[in-house]
Amino acid sequence: MDVLQFALRKLLAGVPLLVGVTLLSFTLMVYFGPDKTYELLGKNSTAAQIAEVRHELGYDRPFFVRYAEYLRELATLDFGHSDSTGAKVSTLLARSIPVSLALELPGFVLGNLLGLALALTAAFHRGRWPDKLIMGVAVVGMSVSFLIVIFAFQIWFCTSHGLNWFPVRGWSAAGPLDYLAHIAVPTLATVFVALGYNTRFYRAVIVEEMGRDHVRTARAFGTPPLRLLWRNILKNCAIPIVTRVMFTIPSIVIGGALLIETAFGIPGVGRVTYEAIISGDQPVLKAVVGLTASLFVLTLLVTDILYRAVDPRVSLQ
Amino acid sequence: MQPWHRRLFFLRSIGGVSLACAVALAGGCGSGVAEGPGRPTLPGPKTFHHSFEQAPASLDPVQATNIYANHVVVNAYDTLFAYKYLARPYQLKPNLAEDWPEISPDLLTYRIRLKRGVRFQDDPCFPGGRGRELVAEDFVYSLKRQFDPQNRPQGGWFWQGRIVGIDAWKSAGSDYAQDIPGLRALDSHTLEIRLTRPYPQLLDTFAQGYSAVVPHEAVACYGRELGTHPVGSGPFKVVAYDTARVVFERHPGYRQEPVDLAAEGYDPVKQRYTGVERIAGRSPPFVDRLIIDFANDDASRWNSFTKGDEVQLSALPPERAEAVLASLNPVRLQPEYAEKYQAYSGPEAGFVFEVFNFDFPDFGYHPDPARERRNKALRCAIIKAFDWEARNASWYFGLATVFPGVIVPVVPEFDPALSRASVTRDVDGARRLLRDNGWTAANLPVLVYGQSAGVKQRMFYEQFRAELKQIGWPPEKVVLKQFATFGDLSRAWKESRLPIVAKGWGLDYPDAENTLQLFYGPNGSPGSNDANWHNVEFDRLYEQAAVMLPSPERTALYRRMNQLVIDDCVGMTGLARNRIYLWHRNVVAMPDREIVGGFWLKYVDVLPPGQSARPEGLGATG
Repeated sequence: MDVLQFALRKLLAGVPLLVGVTLLSFTLMVYFGPDKTYELLGKNSTAAQIAEVRHELGYDRPFFVRYAEYLRELATLDFGHSDSTGAKVSTLLARSIPVSLALELPGFVLGNLLGLALALTAAFHRGRWPDKLIMGVAVVGMSVSFLIVIFAFQIWFCTSHGLNWFPVRGWSAAGPLDYLAHIAVPTLATVFVALGYNTRFYRAVIVEEMGRDHVRTARAFGTPPLRLLWRNILKNCAIPIVTRVMFTIPSIVIGGALLIETAFGIPGVGRVTYEAIISGDQPVLKAVVGLTASLFVLTLLVTDILYRAVDPRVSLQ
Repeated sequence: MQPWHRRLFFLRSIGGVSLACAVALAGGCGSGVAEGPGRPTLPGPKTFHHSFEQAPASLDPVQATNIYANHVVVNAYDTLFAYKYLARPYQLKPNLAEDWPEISPDLLTYRIRLKRGVRFQDDPCFPGGRGRELVAEDFVYSLKRQFDPQNRPQGGWFWQGRIVGIDAWKSAGSDYAQDIPGLRALDSHTLEIRLTRPYPQLLDTFAQGYSAVVPHEAVACYGRELGTHPVGSGPFKVVAYDTARVVFERHPGYRQEPVDLAAEGYDPVKQRYTGVERIAGRSPPFVDRLIIDFANDDASRWNSFTKGDEVQLSALPPERAEAVLASLNPVRLQPEYAEKYQAYSGPEAGFVFEVFNFDFPDFGYHPDPARERRNKALRCAIIKAFDWEARNASWYFGLATVFPGVIVPVVPEFDPALSRASVTRDVDGARRLLRDNGWTAANLPVLVYGQSAGVKQRMFYEQFRAELKQIGWPPEKVVLKQFATFGDLSRAWKESRLPIVAKGWGLDYPDAENTLQLFYGPNGSPGSNDANWHNVEFDRLYEQAAVMLPSPERTALYRRMNQLVIDDCVGMTGLARNRIYLWHRNVVAMPDREIVGGFWLKYVDVLPPGQSARPEGLGATG
């Protein structure tokens, strides 16, 4: 019951946040974003045709009427049609979000699990060669441009100049084999880059925790290493770990992975969002911004509840 | 089984990595090439896998505004006329039209008979899901859509003010139940079009995606989603379309029309190496599936192309030219590439150019006649400073055709004997012009060079600034203004906010009128005359030529107009890019990339892997 009340309170508190984010983003879109009119005009247009297109796009309506319409769309999850392709925005997102999720989830999970494992190893051997080796590799992973990693992996794993094991471009999730073939290299590239950031972050958190009094006391009492790790260190590190993991989720779900999707020809939501930004496709942008903001509100809520689950000292009041 | 599947099974057999273990668990699943969520499974023995560097925004014919959209539209839909597959310069031929039209002596009435038995592709929008026969009324309906603002049409300017009653129909609210006097179906297979004045390019406009024939049932069924769900009568049916690719399958009901190579303009000397003789006497399309990848990134596209079992045709990325080409002129491949690929290089049907905006008193028209004369000297000096050859060498392999004026090399009216003074760099001449007209570093105006954001665009600007510096223009007076998107830049052009407009133009039809209209006074901003140049003689000649059929007299008028543009130093013009295409040896094709050239895809054939389309005895290279 406490949790339910807390959730409702949080959701209500999220409403001003949503209004603020949508109002700000909509203002930016309307006054500073690309004007779609000039992409929809023919080569030899007249002033009357410009006015026609602006009318069709609804640009000639008052700002607050358009904003109210946006809020209605967000509430009903009906964002109309894309100004570029004419596709229903909900269809567009329903098709591309699962692709991005399927593409990014393995890299996200592996990147975090491996990062945590390597961080633990480094922290337990702090200052010794395993620590230095892991941190050295982590810094390399962080330092190399993601674009270079993508193309190096693509050439190495996908082309006749390298192993030629996987497809360069395309997407299929028709069966596990196809799915694995298409996500293997994107996942490797994602993990390679994410691992550095994750390992460094988790190591810092774990090292800090290991220096605390309760860990030293537990050690002094002769607590076995695995138990020490699980009960005294990891549990107490859970809050920053949960925060980091949870706040990555909205960008994975809605944001997609533009570079990966572009390089590997994958029709995910990252590409859809990028095209919408570049062309000023407001119905798609409104949907992406609104849904991302909503997801952040939900993420905040779930994160707070998870805090309570991992640390009973956290109050839901 | 695809090669990567075989390799995954190999991985499983050696059991060395976790991925292979996962594959082992999944063994036996997912055979064949299949598409992701929302896509159909696509089996098929013969596939041509093409690539574009950009995705079309919409596949609705009313928005077929660029080469990407037009390529898809003319293959999914049908047009009354089309361009011959192999003839260069481009030549028109009847497509849906049974024959050439009957044209009245005053050139104002066209009667066009349509082929019988042409059927739309099967689609749920039709009763019973079976495509019905295409009739003349469908063309009338499709052209009306260009004048219905709700469709956000982009091609109406071709027929606006030219077809009797079409503008009034739009003004009256675009009511499809109302007839247009100048656009009628006389019977199920006969069209009559009446014009307000002669329009020699009319049939060319009926070869464009804009005029492709759409069934009203599809519009009623899909509404705005017609842009992602084409239903036409063309050689291919779109079965999947997203930001990464479009997938077509052969239209099984496509009419049987065996290829007559001679009628298609086949030139054995220049085109035999492509192996197109193999398609003679057979009816297209020859592949079961056509895939066009939208590969924005050159590296990714090239990796896919050289892999061997993915993209089969690609433009050569400039950064690969040194490694791939043994010689540039003529284009020859290095032996290791010649063993695997065919190549073609040809001039684009269009050009790139930069014009001054005469709305700006610093460069164009000025109330003071003396200053206006000095402005002309200023423009001429900039033109002399501009180094087309450097631009050609830097960006276009040195293969592009630099030509004087605005009549591009691929149209019949092009004059190869025209003086090249306007495209020849003359730094001393430029300095002299400035000096003689009182221009000094102190009084030269600030020149704002507008471009869309991008590294290449920035480099264009730096090259231009360096050229002006050499004639004494202070670098700080040449300012770059970058726009975040092409739409923003386009807006600045149409609102006449930039003193120099640098752009490319793809021919809508192979007639010099299409580029000369870029300088016709009434087409000023927001129209296509970005220079906002108003020359009384040019406008008079343009209006005179606009109603003339092709003839030596009309060519003479075109060339006179071209000279006027050059003489008034309207801009730096022009350069026609030569693109280099490479394709796998087992592909039978003569590729094209122009707005007027999208019809080639239905003629592509693919031989089994390992076979070569190149006839025996032609050697490996060239």
